[in-house]
Amino acid sequence: MFRTTDIVLIAVMIGAAAVTYRIKQNAESELEHINRIRTQIRLEHDTINLLQADWSLLTQPKRLQKLVELYQPQLNLQPTTAEQIVTLDQLPMRPVEMPKPDPQAPGQVAENNPDKTVTGSLKK
Amino acid sequence: MIRRWLKKFRRSGGMAEEAIVVDGSRKATGGRAGNRILMMGVMFFCVYGVIAGRLVYYGSHKEEDNGPPPARPTEARPDIVDRNGEILATDIKTASLYAEPRHIVDVDEAIDKLHTVLPDLNYEDTYRKLKSHAGFVWLRRQLTPKQEADILALGVPGLGFRTERKRFYPGGSMAAHILGLVNIDNKGIAGMEKYIDEQGLSILQATGLATQQDLKPFRLSIDARVQHIMHDELTQSMEKYRAIASGGVVLNAKTGEVLAMVSLPDYDPNNPYNALEKDRFNRMSNGVFEMGSTFKTFTTAMALDSGKVHLSDKFDTTHPLHYGRYTIHDYEPKHRWLTVPEIFKYSSNIGTALEAEKVSIEHNQEFLTNLGLLTRMPFELPEVATPQQPKVWKPINQITIAFGHGVATTPLQTAVAGMAILNGGLLIEPTLLPRTQAEADEHTKRVIKASTSQDMKYLFRLNVEQGSGRQANVPGYFIGGKTGTAEKVVNGKYSHTKNFDAFMAGFPIDDPQYIVLVVMDEPKPYGGWPATAGANCAPTVGNIIRRTAPILGVEPEFGHQLGALLISYH
Repeated sequence: MFRTTDIVLIAVMIGAAAVTYRIKQNAESELEHINRIRTQIRLEHDTINLLQADWSLLTQPKRLQKLVELYQPQLNLQPTTAEQIVTLDQLPMRPVEMPKPDPQAPGQVAENNPDKTVTGSLKK
Repeated sequence: MIRRWLKKFRRSGGMAEEAIVVDGSRKATGGRAGNRILMMGVMFFCVYGVIAGRLVYYGSHKEEDNGPPPARPTEARPDIVDRNGEILATDIKTASLYAEPRHIVDVDEAIDKLHTVLPDLNYEDTYRKLKSHAGFVWLRRQLTPKQEADILALGVPGLGFRTERKRFYPGGSMAAHILGLVNIDNKGIAGMEKYIDEQGLSILQATGLATQQDLKPFRLSIDARVQHIMHDELTQSMEKYRAIASGGVVLNAKTGEVLAMVSLPDYDPNNPYNALEKDRFNRMSNGVFEMGSTFKTFTTAMALDSGKVHLSDKFDTTHPLHYGRYTIHDYEPKHRWLTVPEIFKYSSNIGTALEAEKVSIEHNQEFLTNLGLLTRMPFELPEVATPQQPKVWKPINQITIAFGHGVATTPLQTAVAGMAILNGGLLIEPTLLPRTQAEADEHTKRVIKASTSQDMKYLFRLNVEQGSGRQANVPGYFIGGKTGTAEKVVNGKYSHTKNFDAFMAGFPIDDPQYIVLVVMDEPKPYGGWPATAGANCAPTVGNIIRRTAPILGVEPEFGHQLGALLISYH
């Protein structure tokens, strides 16, 4: 008849089988997942490649030039001429702007009422 | 039957008891055993016969066209990009749609559905294809991934895709001669594509290590914008001056990098059906021409560099030169003594010949060889021609070579030699690969003195301000250049109507950053101007510089006067 050890061993065996099955199942599903992602990556790579080609096709100088010519009335784009390129140190100093004195304000130079004091430098 | 088995059993039962009977029993069944063996033999023979017959059948019978042809293994190639990373050539995967008519259930439905994705599908043609009993038909080659996904989403049975890798050149013919071509197996057969293969890509491909992701983009020294402007301007000029061909190159005068190189007529590498036509070869590196007056640059530089001629020296150009049965005339005779700058400015053949005479023939030959004008130039492109020179240099050869007749070189190496004259006297090997200043120094050789280069820059500027190159002038960019109008040899004689024109320029000429050379083959007179280089090549160079200088980052300056360079006048 069944002894305790037999029962234990059978239980261990079934358990081991279950665990193995589970691991195998998991591995398979993971593998499937990986393969799906791989396919996706490959597709994305191909798409990126194609989009890059597309982008360079759309930004071809030849095409841009044609577009500029076509939409000249709206865009009014012109080639840069040599006269338009200036570096900062080639620019002359900005003229200093003096605030215009307000004759009414107190403490300002009075333009209309010359000072009555007569100094030696002034001739009467 | 059963009785027989029983008998047999009984006998065998008896065998254990009487060993002597064994022999007898065997004899008793002997005849029938032979029968059985024969039966078994026949059976096995039949089975193996059927198998063998089937094998022979499969071996000899040609499989009906029953599916797509085997995929062509196309190797991955690296992208080719310009110096700024703009794509010049790339691999794209395209899907081609095929159908297996036997598996298609409802032809009308299938076509209707396909029409939603491919509106331009020919209904009748497709119907005929799908109704046929062929195992396999192509419906449409090279679809985009979007179309592929849409067709897959339709869920029509009997349709399938085969992906193919295809080389794609977004710029079309823009840089055709630089990039070259690949064959149907994606192997480089011309231009840089071939160069890349020779650099070890073919080994990588053979060992299966070349995958699209691992291959780094291959960077060139070309600037796609400059290349386009060059292509655009040359196309316009060729039309305007009705030339049969033209070409141009932009070089970085400090590093020898080629920024743009165009040869027209060219071809579209995406559809190179005409690439091998005789007329469409790369004239810049693979065509040799007598460069005409452009060569006076080198003669003058040689005369000045030898120390035997100075800028202030005068030469008698009053009368044409007579050499045996040859007479050398000037295009615009001045009938007086001319100084060296005047000879250069008026492009006097007589004056230049007299300058060359001051130098020995050996030295003359050595000087031009040093400039790399007489030997095959080292360059990445496989298409490089070898210059032609007289086997033995006689005095008359020296005289004609002085003004560019008698030696045929490629326009590219003329530009490279011109670069050496203008950049301070350093000959730099040209390259199509990006190069730093330090790397450039390793490929550099001094060919003339810096002071000679200084004089030559002055002469180049003088030629644009007062001489034949006036139409090349662009205010602000301080261009210096030399025209060259060579008469072409037609049936062994110099033709007076067919010219080969060239204009070589450097800018800004006080310290040239870039060298531009434009050549034109057989231009026609235009707008009252004769078909000379000053009237067609010079304005083309002017236009190219006007458009490219801001892109190349050359700062315009208006402060320069000729006087600034006159310091070098001695």
